[in-house]
Amino acid sequence: MPQVPIIMPQLGESIAEATIVDIKVKPGDEVADDQEILDVETNKAVMGVTTPCKGKIAQITVQLKETYPVGAVLGYVEASEADAARFARQAPPQAQREVAEEIPARADQEVAPAREKKVAARDGDGARAGGLPVPVTPKGATFMSPRIRARMAELQLTTADLAGIMGTGAGNRVTIKDLENFLFKIESQTAQDASAIRTGVADAMRRSWTRPLSTIGSSVNLDPVLQDRQSRDPKPGPGLYALRALALALAETPGAAAKLIGNRVVQSTSIDVGIAVEAEDGIMVPVIRSAEKTSLVDLATKYKELIELARQRRISPDMQAGGIATVSNFGTFGMEWGTPIPLPDQTLLLGLGAGKKVPSWNEQKKEFVPRTEAQITLSFDHRSIDGGGAGRLLKRVIELLETPKKL
Amino acid sequence: MSITYLEAIREAQAKLLRDDERVFIYGQDVGGAFGGAFKATKGLAKEFPGRVLNTPISEDAMVGAAIGAAIEGMRPIVEMQFADFSSVALNQILNNAGTHYWRTNVPVPITVRLPSGGTKGSGPFHSQSMESIYAHYPGLIVMTPATVEDAYTMLIEAVAIDDPVVYCEHKYLYYHLKADKLPSQGVPTGTARIAREGRDLTIVSYSAMLHEALAVAEQLAGESFEIEVIDLRSVKPLDTNTVLASVARTGRLLCVGESFPWGGVTAEVIARVAAEGFHLLDAAPQRLNAKDTPIPYHPNLWSAHRPNAKEIARKARALLRE
Amino acid sequence: MLQTAQRQSKAKKPSPPHERFLEAYRWMLLTRTLEEKLVSLYRGGLITGGVYIGKGQEAVSAACGLFLQKGDIFAPLIRDQAGRSAFGEPLLDVTRTYLGSRQGPMRGRDGNIHRGRPQDNQLAMVSHLGAMISVTVGALMAKRFKGEKDFIGLACIGEGGMQTGAFHEGMNIAAVEQVPLVIVATNNHYAYSTPNDREFACHDLVDRAIGYGFEGYSLDGTDLSACLEVIGGAVKRARAGRPPQLVVASVLRLSGHGEHDDASYVTEEIKREPFARDCLKVAEQTIADLNLVDAKTLTEWRKEAAVKVDEAIATAQKEAPPEGDKEDWCAISVRDLVDSPE
Repeated sequence: MPQVPIIMPQLGESIAEATIVDIKVKPGDEVADDQEILDVETNKAVMGVTTPCKGKIAQITVQLKETYPVGAVLGYVEASEADAARFARQAPPQAQREVAEEIPARADQEVAPAREKKVAARDGDGARAGGLPVPVTPKGATFMSPRIRARMAELQLTTADLAGIMGTGAGNRVTIKDLENFLFKIESQTAQDASAIRTGVADAMRRSWTRPLSTIGSSVNLDPVLQDRQSRDPKPGPGLYALRALALALAETPGAAAKLIGNRVVQSTSIDVGIAVEAEDGIMVPVIRSAEKTSLVDLATKYKELIELARQRRISPDMQAGGIATVSNFGTFGMEWGTPIPLPDQTLLLGLGAGKKVPSWNEQKKEFVPRTEAQITLSFDHRSIDGGGAGRLLKRVIELLETPKKL
Repeated sequence: MSITYLEAIREAQAKLLRDDERVFIYGQDVGGAFGGAFKATKGLAKEFPGRVLNTPISEDAMVGAAIGAAIEGMRPIVEMQFADFSSVALNQILNNAGTHYWRTNVPVPITVRLPSGGTKGSGPFHSQSMESIYAHYPGLIVMTPATVEDAYTMLIEAVAIDDPVVYCEHKYLYYHLKADKLPSQGVPTGTARIAREGRDLTIVSYSAMLHEALAVAEQLAGESFEIEVIDLRSVKPLDTNTVLASVARTGRLLCVGESFPWGGVTAEVIARVAAEGFHLLDAAPQRLNAKDTPIPYHPNLWSAHRPNAKEIARKARALLRE
Repeated sequence: MLQTAQRQSKAKKPSPPHERFLEAYRWMLLTRTLEEKLVSLYRGGLITGGVYIGKGQEAVSAACGLFLQKGDIFAPLIRDQAGRSAFGEPLLDVTRTYLGSRQGPMRGRDGNIHRGRPQDNQLAMVSHLGAMISVTVGALMAKRFKGEKDFIGLACIGEGGMQTGAFHEGMNIAAVEQVPLVIVATNNHYAYSTPNDREFACHDLVDRAIGYGFEGYSLDGTDLSACLEVIGGAVKRARAGRPPQLVVASVLRLSGHGEHDDASYVTEEIKREPFARDCLKVAEQTIADLNLVDAKTLTEWRKEAAVKVDEAIATAQKEAPPEGDKEDWCAISVRDLVDSPE
């Protein structure tokens, strides 16, 4: 009696293999046409495999929980001549080519071992000793082919833009097809050109984010500032007090704003601090030069000018360059705290949240008293300064803010 | 009516002898009633007396004489009995014919036919593919027709070209490849042909390997891969533009050739694509050639030595998965 | 040395000169004058690459060129300046090629004795000795195909070149194809530094003629009259449809292999052999003995030769060399089929 092979079927586009999850028959069992004899699982679903024809199970050659490629032989059904012949007609036709050698299905294909790289691996100091460490395989999730790179350059994409793509290539890398499909889908959504400011901010934030950024925070009593400002004319906002406090604190410990570039610590001689100013289509950050020498009153005047310039979109790149720290008063938007991102060429960003009346424990009175409190955060580049240093700086800023006469 | 690759070569030669009195055929066993070791000239000596001449076993002198005759205005076709024996004539082909125009401004319109490639049991000296050697030297055109139609039109074109042409005809295709009829016009040499359109992978091949590549494309179509197959037709000049355009479509390249692996046609294609089309590649370009040993005699070893559809499929699948 | 002594032909007393004796002598004189000048240019550092002269072979070579007529094929080799000139090669071709003028027949793409004018039936040799024999055969076959009449081919070779496989194939195929070919083989007793006893083992190279189906003749290459008789006779027989002819001439190479070679390996004994005589001096002796021309005429001839040579050199020296970036770097004539690998 002829033995008809049970073949792993093609279970879907791009499915290469499946795992045996249930064997429903054993040798000797009679099976009817189209009876399900195995269950297999792919990364999409569990599916049944049916017998090729009616007959008797001769053998099952596969194991439970093992994975086999599409086209693999899973077992044999002993069938009558007539039934076996039917199977032969239904089976996909062999390629009728005299010229071509027989091309087996993937079942017969051994996985050829990747040719071992004959290049000796170098130990860690290779780069310094003059030789470069040799990557073992040019593969992996982050491998970007020349084509991908060229396409990205053409469209001015960065790896951040590819975050939304799940790669289908080896090691889940993004193939050019993945990228083109992704772009195609975007086209079908509404898209418009980003403004220059949007792309500029995006680029700055991307560059800033390449550093390990951290944020610490505390609360500050705003009542002294709120009271102090009543006696000033013009009235500076709390953000300007914060700028002044930061400037004075940095004047005391300028090292806190030093930048690590490579293995050099670079320090600016001038305490130039930026202040975030909202323009129509984005935030501008003009820099106040020598802020520790600029009085609060002058700061207030300057700020007013800057608001006007921002409105007229006349804050130039020069005006925004060269600062060592920035203050962002997002409290004006009602936000209480945040983790702002320092500008890419700076290492510190002081964020001031909205003040609100909260009960605060008064140790002397042994009761809760109301006070206006705001969350004040300091984001920093952790390569250049540690939490301790940042904390000390923030503490000093808070001290100065709570004694506004000193500002 | 069905015509084989070999019959197409014979028909082309008959037409050439008939239409151009400058043509004569020079080679071992080509004359008389015998008509050549592969019958490529059968009947021609009788039909064209004095123009299909048997030579001694003197490949150097056969080509040297052809060069002299060509300088004096004839259009000789030299039949090498096997490509493998042309090495005896290497000096005349490379150093004499190949340099003559550049040195003297007088072109040398000879055509040297090389029965190339293996058949089972032919062994190391009756199976070689030498297109890479001849393409390497300046001054030569190297043709590698893969179809019955090209075998016909390209041989006619070869004789018309004023420069020396090395015409690599594949012995395996002689009787295995058939066509319904011969075309009256062909695509000029220097243009590759897209034998099968695709979008997932480009296989560049030539001569007998084209058919292996097409078989693989057929198989992989059943696995939902669309392979684009290119037939180079001539390896010198090599149609870089068609190859680049294809890689632009698919992003993946596999080159398949039957000659030995070091250097050669596949290396040349990949070098050009890497240099001019680096940005088109979504994966490292790959190639498949025969093994770096002399060609074995035993049919089992012979079929393992050269690329075959199984090997090509394996390489293609690996590349598709990159 | 015993072997070579056996090969030496018997000394002859001066026979009446051939009717073209003086004509041939003047080609020899021109050639000697030219080549001496080339040597001094080379030693002056004005020639790049090899300089190969035919000192001692001028008689054989002049005879080769002299009997060829328009329509014949001439395949000279490296010591055949006299033949080339007698065949019609302009002196400017020589000087331009050696001095690197862009206007030479090879345009700088090949140099020294690799030059030729195939369109004028003077084949341009390749360095692989013996290769040009079959090319000459093919050219003769073509003429026959085209129905031309009364043409021959004459190819030159040395005893060293005769040992290559290519020479063997060429000679064999010439006889098989029954073309009107004369091969003039000059045994100048040294193939570079290799004397005859390491070059071939047969008693006399002319014995090979019969082995190939050629007719063979020996020749004392130092004797201009003999050269004219024998080579003229071979050419005549070839024109008459005889089998291919092999003439083996005996001389001594009177220079280095090239001018870069001092030939210090040439033995003193061999320089005393009869075949070591300088054919030019022998011819001049004959002229003197038979009073064929007077001393004054000889002096004029010498002067004329010197003037011609100097003119050719001066002209070539003034001309521009080829330039790499102006060159057409294309090795095939059909521009549509140019491959562009870069």
